[in-house]
Amino acid sequence: MSGRTLTGRADEAVAGAARSRGEVPTLLAAGGMFALLLGLGAVALSLGEPVIGVHRLPAVLAEGDGLAYVVLWELRLPRLIVAVLAGAAVAVAGLLMQEALRNPLAVPELLGVSGGASLVMAMIVVWGLPVPLGLHPAAALGGALAGGAVCLAAARLGRGAESVLLIGAAASTAVQALTLAVLSTASRLQYDSLFRYLVGSLTRMTWEHVAQLLPWTLLAVPLTLLAMPVLGLLRLGDDAAASLGVRVGWARLGLIALAALLVAGVVGPCGPIAWVGFLAPLLARRLRPSADARGWLPWTALIGALVTLGADQAARLVFAPVETPLGAWTAVVGIGTGLVLLRRSARPAPAAAEEVAR
Amino acid sequence: MRRRVRGPVVAAALAAAAALCALANVLAYGDIPAGVVADVLAGERSGQQAQIMWTLRFPQAATALLVGAALGVAGLVLQLVLRNPLAAPELTGVNPGAVLGLLLALVLGLTDAASAAGALTAALVGGLAGGALTWLLAREHDSAQLVVYGLLCSALLTGLTTMLLAYQPSRFGNALRWLVGSVEGRTWDHLAVAGPWIAVALGCVWLGSAALGVLGAGDDHAAALGLPAARARGVALAGAVALAAGAVALAGAVAFVGLVVPHLARAAAGSDPRFGVPAAAALGAAAVTGADALAQLGSRWLAAEVDGQRLGLPTGVVTAVLGAAALVLVVRRGGRGAAMERTAT
Repeated sequence: MSGRTLTGRADEAVAGAARSRGEVPTLLAAGGMFALLLGLGAVALSLGEPVIGVHRLPAVLAEGDGLAYVVLWELRLPRLIVAVLAGAAVAVAGLLMQEALRNPLAVPELLGVSGGASLVMAMIVVWGLPVPLGLHPAAALGGALAGGAVCLAAARLGRGAESVLLIGAAASTAVQALTLAVLSTASRLQYDSLFRYLVGSLTRMTWEHVAQLLPWTLLAVPLTLLAMPVLGLLRLGDDAAASLGVRVGWARLGLIALAALLVAGVVGPCGPIAWVGFLAPLLARRLRPSADARGWLPWTALIGALVTLGADQAARLVFAPVETPLGAWTAVVGIGTGLVLLRRSARPAPAAAEEVAR
Repeated sequence: MRRRVRGPVVAAALAAAAALCALANVLAYGDIPAGVVADVLAGERSGQQAQIMWTLRFPQAATALLVGAALGVAGLVLQLVLRNPLAAPELTGVNPGAVLGLLLALVLGLTDAASAAGALTAALVGGLAGGALTWLLAREHDSAQLVVYGLLCSALLTGLTTMLLAYQPSRFGNALRWLVGSVEGRTWDHLAVAGPWIAVALGCVWLGSAALGVLGAGDDHAAALGLPAARARGVALAGAVALAAGAVALAGAVAFVGLVVPHLARAAAGSDPRFGVPAAAALGAAAVTGADALAQLGSRWLAAEVDGQRLGLPTGVVTAVLGAAALVLVVRRGGRGAAMERTAT
């Protein structure tokens, strides 16, 4: 795969390789995805109770008054924006971790990053710790970093990345169990909404939540772009990257910290939107088999937004009027589809992962 | 030679510890004098205190003992047969599958909560399905990857369970009861079905523990001794699922007992399953009853000191917290051994 990266950037060569591989042309893929995004956006804005026809959306927004306007402007639009931003953020976090540890199963959910953030948020909300709303993502970031650090330390990062996954996975289960433990001390009145939040839910998202999410996403974009060249070098293998002047251990830690930043920004307002970071990079890789991390990044973000938005529509509408937690849907869809994809491409993939995992 | 003395002694000591924990569990409320326990055991059933003792506290303590024994032995069997120190019922899709099967049967109306036999069947089918899913996905990979695939399956099944719980919250009440497990509110009716089931399964596993030891030593070793490894492994795994499903039907997915207890049992009684199985059963029983006593103390403290509107602590929360701590110790101590086991397979 490293060879492919090196043959790299000449557009004609890439296009030729794409054609010979039966790769979907970029324009078609991008167009299709934006169409899908628009379609899902229309569903998100118009369906539900009350139904607002797509043709009426601009008129209702312009109206600036009435029930339909309030539902659209105060409830559905912020929710749509949060879904897109949050989905893209967790998807990119997944890509970063998978690339840093070079294993398709290295995702925030399995390495304690999501779990740590959720645990801290659970403690704040359930025990009513005096943390101002604006600092929630910062607290979640602390939890995410601590969770990731505990899992990686338990797995002894230095001693081989294979055991990182195994023991990190077990340790992250422990962190999740601790979150449920905190939840069990909640009062009866809070319990239902807390349970939803801790599974991951976009119910009652407002512009305030958008404002809460936006700075973190904006902060993460330049950092992610800065990290891209390092990802490309890491793909060459540890020795080659080291000989090119990359301090591999620190680079890996930095990438995981960046992933924690992305995840924490989302867990603060929405709760964990689980397993999107597992599925989206896998899909992006299948869409663009000959690209490298830089090429996968925009697709990962786009697919993450699509998956989250789609799952949120399912959460809103499938069992209406009961709303099911978004996190449960993304878990089922993300893991289910991801497992099928992994199994299909499994024969070379785990071998490659283990080979580079040394 | 040292081990020959150690095994039975350790098992007896652990059984005594389990009995003590059960007593602590019965008395954890602190409102009934210890003498009543002796009266009830002697057959005295009249009087309010004896009634409470006999109809509420004794079944709860018995449930905790059975659930702990079942999960401890199920975890030991899984770890031996799959040769992976992290293969536990909750990390191989068995427990999450059993919970999902149970809740699905309740939602679809295939059984009702009062029917102990229906609950057991549903948990059994679900546990088998969850374990089979993991096995189908992971069979072509080495045993080190098994846990990762098992964890993915478990997360998938838990996601489905969460959806069910959110879909009909009023029907299942406290969702934590199912997600982390609780031994509260079980009666003799529940125990009448699941109790003998678990007891028989425990007996069967113990009778087969010599074969388990051979199987744990490796397929070649088993074949050399004339044991058909594939079939024996299938039977052993079915036994582990039967035990875990029995535990889930009684108490939901009590976490971390099946993961941590086998390591403690091996540390106490050695690696021979003939001693390991009884040790795991006794240690698991002691762990869950002890955790239940702590959970009751914690619940009463929350209700009295914080406010009466708090939920009670389910047993599984205490096992999860203590288990998480024990897991870190196990990992730190066993990391090298685990790596050696992996290279051996």
